Amino acid sequence: MHAESAASQEMRIKGLAVSQGIAIGPAFPFGSGIQDVRPHEVAAAEVEAEVQRLTQAIENAKSELTRIGEETQERLGERSAEIFEVHILILDDPEIRGAAIRRIREERLNAEWLFLQVVEKYEQSFSHFKDEYMRARATDLQDVKRRVIRQLQGAAKSPGDGLPGPAVVFAADLMPSETIHLRRDYVLGFATELGSRTSHAAILARSLKVPSVVGLGPVCQYLVPGTPVILDGYSGQLILNPAPETLERYEKTRSLYEALSHKLARSRTLPARTKDGKDIELSANIEFFEEVQPAIADGAIGVGLYRTEYLFLMRDELPTEEEQYAEYVRIIDALHRQPIIFRTFDLGGDKAQRHFHVHQEANPFLGYRGVRLYSEREEVFRMQLRAILRASVRGRVRILIPMISSVAEMRFCRGVLESVKEELRAAAIPFDEEIPVGAMIEVPSAAVSADLIARECDFLSIGTNDLIQYTLAVDRSNRYVDQMYRAFSPSVLRLIRDTIHHGHAQGVWVGMCGEMASDPLATMALIGMGLDEFSVSPVSLLVIKDIIRRVHFDECENLAERVLSYSTADEVENYLSSVFRRKFRDLIIHDPNHPLVRREQN
Amino acid sequence: MIEKKFRIKNKLGIHARPAGQLVKVATRFKSAIYISRNGNEVNAKSIMGVLMLEAGHGSEVIIRINGEDEFSALEAIEELIDKRQFDEE
Repeated sequence: MHAESAASQEMRIKGLAVSQGIAIGPAFPFGSGIQDVRPHEVAAAEVEAEVQRLTQAIENAKSELTRIGEETQERLGERSAEIFEVHILILDDPEIRGAAIRRIREERLNAEWLFLQVVEKYEQSFSHFKDEYMRARATDLQDVKRRVIRQLQGAAKSPGDGLPGPAVVFAADLMPSETIHLRRDYVLGFATELGSRTSHAAILARSLKVPSVVGLGPVCQYLVPGTPVILDGYSGQLILNPAPETLERYEKTRSLYEALSHKLARSRTLPARTKDGKDIELSANIEFFEEVQPAIADGAIGVGLYRTEYLFLMRDELPTEEEQYAEYVRIIDALHRQPIIFRTFDLGGDKAQRHFHVHQEANPFLGYRGVRLYSEREEVFRMQLRAILRASVRGRVRILIPMISSVAEMRFCRGVLESVKEELRAAAIPFDEEIPVGAMIEVPSAAVSADLIARECDFLSIGTNDLIQYTLAVDRSNRYVDQMYRAFSPSVLRLIRDTIHHGHAQGVWVGMCGEMASDPLATMALIGMGLDEFSVSPVSLLVIKDIIRRVHFDECENLAERVLSYSTADEVENYLSSVFRRKFRDLIIHDPNHPLVRREQN
Repeated sequence: MIEKKFRIKNKLGIHARPAGQLVKVATRFKSAIYISRNGNEVNAKSIMGVLMLEAGHGSEVIIRINGEDEFSALEAIEELIDKRQFDEE
């Protein structure tokens, strides 16, 4: 693909939508600001440091390329990924790396300038080639050049710096530190070549409410700064050079969304209470400290699911008790005594390999994961419990155990918790003696014996994603069967109803932290089944609260009863959709690309 | 030292991906490996050098190899240029 041929034609690229919203504006490929590079002298004593700076920048660019290559290979196959190997070879070439380093030592000028000189010499030669295809190799050099210059400037500059005005920022990847320093009023959206829904940058973009699409693959090289783009954070679509009719349609959709979110924001500080006065606990699912503030601002009364895995995935070593304690304290303090549920580390499959030497399993989802790791690696579990207990004096902390499938596992965990408490008492370290402990209900065996498990617990929290996949025996990342993954299957709904019923019969409250709690279509039915707490993704807080505030409890009970009388998922969904269209017409935005009911990875 | 002349038969010539393939094959060997076209000789282990040859479709290049594993190196390069034709589709 040549830059020129893409200059005026509408072009669509599909990525992964990670933060809702529609951004329309000029593209600003981060790193395109390299025209700013000027030569300046480097003091003799600083020359080696300058060489080191360049070496580091090249190494960083290489690992970025390796990651893009791996992701591209997964998505598009080996052949498409080969170009990134070529870029790596270019960076390692003595004629590039070696020449730039030699020139830094000889000429004592800054790394940016000399690297640019070295690469541009070749770029010029390429542009004089007779063979058109060979001539186009200049774009490979430009891409390589930008990547390294961006690395060199990265320490001093964040991608929003140098923005001439409001723009959609493009980058290979966004570092959390970069995301956080952006001038919000100038950044219309984020588009990245790398990344997944759960990358740190994606989560931050969501909490900053900047429309974002990640995993677009190699786009930066096609982009001339200022190219008009539409970035659709609902569908993951990136549109370069949109045609006038496309632009018009998106502008209309955008204004509808803006009007809706404006309206919903008005109930931010109002309680999540039904019209007839039943209070629902509405809280947020979070993973990072940065998400706490925005969630509270949008009216969450606390955190219903704090995923603690990232501390274990950050590095090759396990986090120490002190590191965990410091992070937990930071998050609890930000909540100002609003409740928080800590889910103890839920690792499995490939994620657990690094720390727990888990062998390749034929069926990781049916294998060694969640609570099942705790007996063999009790010391890791104990360390986390110690950190949580010590932090518990600073707020209202609850503990949730993932992947419980039997009473025996729950008893084991309570036993370990008691012994850790005893240890702390002996050392006169204060903690919350009454700290509530709950089981995550996400395995069918736990759901059908929820009465037995509830006797061992202070609360239950339903994790719908796994519950659905285990109940229906469907791996939803498998495209041959993913259409069978249906949250509204009668079997799943019955398990949810029974879990709530059993929990209440044993005198414990029942919440839900799975994706279904964030689905507006499910809200009335779940209220009707008696669910006490909804823990939702932060972006869904306002819409779920709006629904809660507009319904009567008895009307939800009737609806739930009817929903449970149907025999297929289609019947349930059709009925729920018809009710939704009747009652909440204003929440539906008519655009085929933008179903109101979005599914989120959990 | 051994030398062999090749005609580049694949349609797009030694552009980025084939150049990368050649460099990767060349760096597997200890011998010094050079590639020349129209009298310009470059190090076959340098991708920039190889690209600068502008060896398009139909052009003629000479591979010159000097070192202990020169024969196996030539064999591997023959395989890439003649037999696999850079795996072009």
